[in-house]
Amino acid sequence: MRIMKRNRKWFLAAALLAGGLCTAAAASAQVTLEVMNPRGEIPPPKTLGISPRGGSLDGKKIVLIDNGKYGASNFLNVLADMLKQKYPTATIVMYPKPAAETITDLPKWYPTVKQQGDLFVFGVGD
Amino acid sequence: MPGVYYTTTEFLDDAKSAAKDRGMPGIRTLALPADKYYVARANKEELQPVADAFFDKMVDALTRPLTAEEAKPSQAQQLHENANIKVTGKNFQDASEKVNELFLDNHWADGLPIIPPTPELVKAMEAGTTRSPKDVLGQVAPKSGTATIEKIAINSVMAGAKPEYFPVILAAMEGFLDKHYDLTHVMASTGSFTPVVLVDGPIAKELNFNSGIGMLGHGWRANSTVGRAIQLSLLNLGQTWPQVNFMGLTGRLEAYTFYTFAEDTAKSPWEPYNVSQGFQAGDNTVTVSSSGNPQVFGGGAVAPWTAQGVIDQIVTQIRNRGVAWPHAQKHILVLHPDCAVELANHGYTRRSLQEYLYEQTRVPYEKLAKQVSFGEGSEEEFIRASIADGRIRSDRAQIFLDNLKPGGRVPVVQSPDDFHIVVAGGSPGYDLLFTYPGTNWAHQTVKITGATLTKAGQ
Repeated sequence: MRIMKRNRKWFLAAALLAGGLCTAAAASAQVTLEVMNPRGEIPPPKTLGISPRGGSLDGKKIVLIDNGKYGASNFLNVLADMLKQKYPTATIVMYPKPAAETITDLPKWYPTVKQQGDLFVFGVGD
Repeated sequence: MPGVYYTTTEFLDDAKSAAKDRGMPGIRTLALPADKYYVARANKEELQPVADAFFDKMVDALTRPLTAEEAKPSQAQQLHENANIKVTGKNFQDASEKVNELFLDNHWADGLPIIPPTPELVKAMEAGTTRSPKDVLGQVAPKSGTATIEKIAINSVMAGAKPEYFPVILAAMEGFLDKHYDLTHVMASTGSFTPVVLVDGPIAKELNFNSGIGMLGHGWRANSTVGRAIQLSLLNLGQTWPQVNFMGLTGRLEAYTFYTFAEDTAKSPWEPYNVSQGFQAGDNTVTVSSSGNPQVFGGGAVAPWTAQGVIDQIVTQIRNRGVAWPHAQKHILVLHPDCAVELANHGYTRRSLQEYLYEQTRVPYEKLAKQVSFGEGSEEEFIRASIADGRIRSDRAQIFLDNLKPGGRVPVVQSPDDFHIVVAGGSPGYDLLFTYPGTNWAHQTVKITGATLTKAGQ
């Protein structure tokens, strides 16, 4: 009986030790990978506010800009009819964006929009 | 000038992202319901309900006084993307999986597994070139991320490329970043255009690029990983993501590796393609271009064909497509070696074939489309506008003007040089036509230099 008791204690100690070793082994098997960020840094642009506005559209010259995509002019023409009906003193200017205009050409074209009126509606963005 | 911009619901994130990129995050942007707008846009009557629902929002956006933030927004801060990241897992596989999950969650990967870009692997990649890791090649559209040699190396590791491929990848990136290459269109267009990457010169054989049967398919590490390294570099440096600011409607058909292949100069009856672009025979180059979905001609192994018959089919295909935007349109014709040799036996040189294609594809004036397929206006109006603003070169403009009248035959491209003829493919083989109908130039050939691990390209 004494031997059995001694064996039981030994078994318990061995189990505890083995458990500890397993934990240690699991801890030591952990792998940390250091990896590099693949993204390019973006120089932030200067952030600008948008133009102030307020009041009614009455008497305003509203520029409707068609971006040249199929159907854009149809939608703007519907808006033009509604604007004329609801704001009879407003002037509607249809000002299509030049065909096949691309981002490299836009800096030349944008200033011309400002010469057309007081406010703009620009679409449809695809 | 006060205004309102409108788009459709599917493009609202894209529009807001672009506004932020341009420094105007507060621009008032409205969205039409995409499921109602596109089906109704053909006529005003069907658009009326869409406009009715939109009108008050438009008036509000045009008249509502600005908030303090809209009037004077806080300045965007520089986001630093240079710190390394540490990921811990139960073992290597677990850590590697966590890196993959992190990168995909951050929109830094393409959906296929990546190689974790450890500093050691990146350094090994950088050893493939003489260039300094801090050298800058340019800013990548659409968000203008800075393309350093180091960042391209990180993406090349992720793609599984070997360090000896690195100079090829860098030369390709230089081509995409050339000021004459309209990368914005390729990176963001709804058209889902796919880059073409053509390797020419002795380095192609040294790196074991496939130029034969299956040249656009899997199985060759150079073709697959060079293309993927470029794709990941463009994705991460330009910072694009589907449904956010990459709006290719179907996605690119070769989304992971692009159309990456080499010319088979040994079997070509003509001088290498890069010689036609002004380089010396023996030079190592990468040509980067863009294409819609390629078309296949010829009989392959299953049907009879003749070289002249193939060329005639291609002529018909191009001519039927119409003129549209001749100032930037170009075609890359990839002839399989047997077809090229037969054409040469019939007396064609690369130049005479280019001239033949240029002449035969001209469209009768009477067949110019009254409305182009991509927008509003006629083909004649587009051509005249392209002449007026100089996009059709002054030395070619008169040819167009002389033919914009009854009986005229209008060229589909500016000059014979816009037919790029390359020899690659198997025996038997098919012939491929890559066409780019874009609005701006998107084709560059760049010399490969600075290689340290190959005999060619040093």
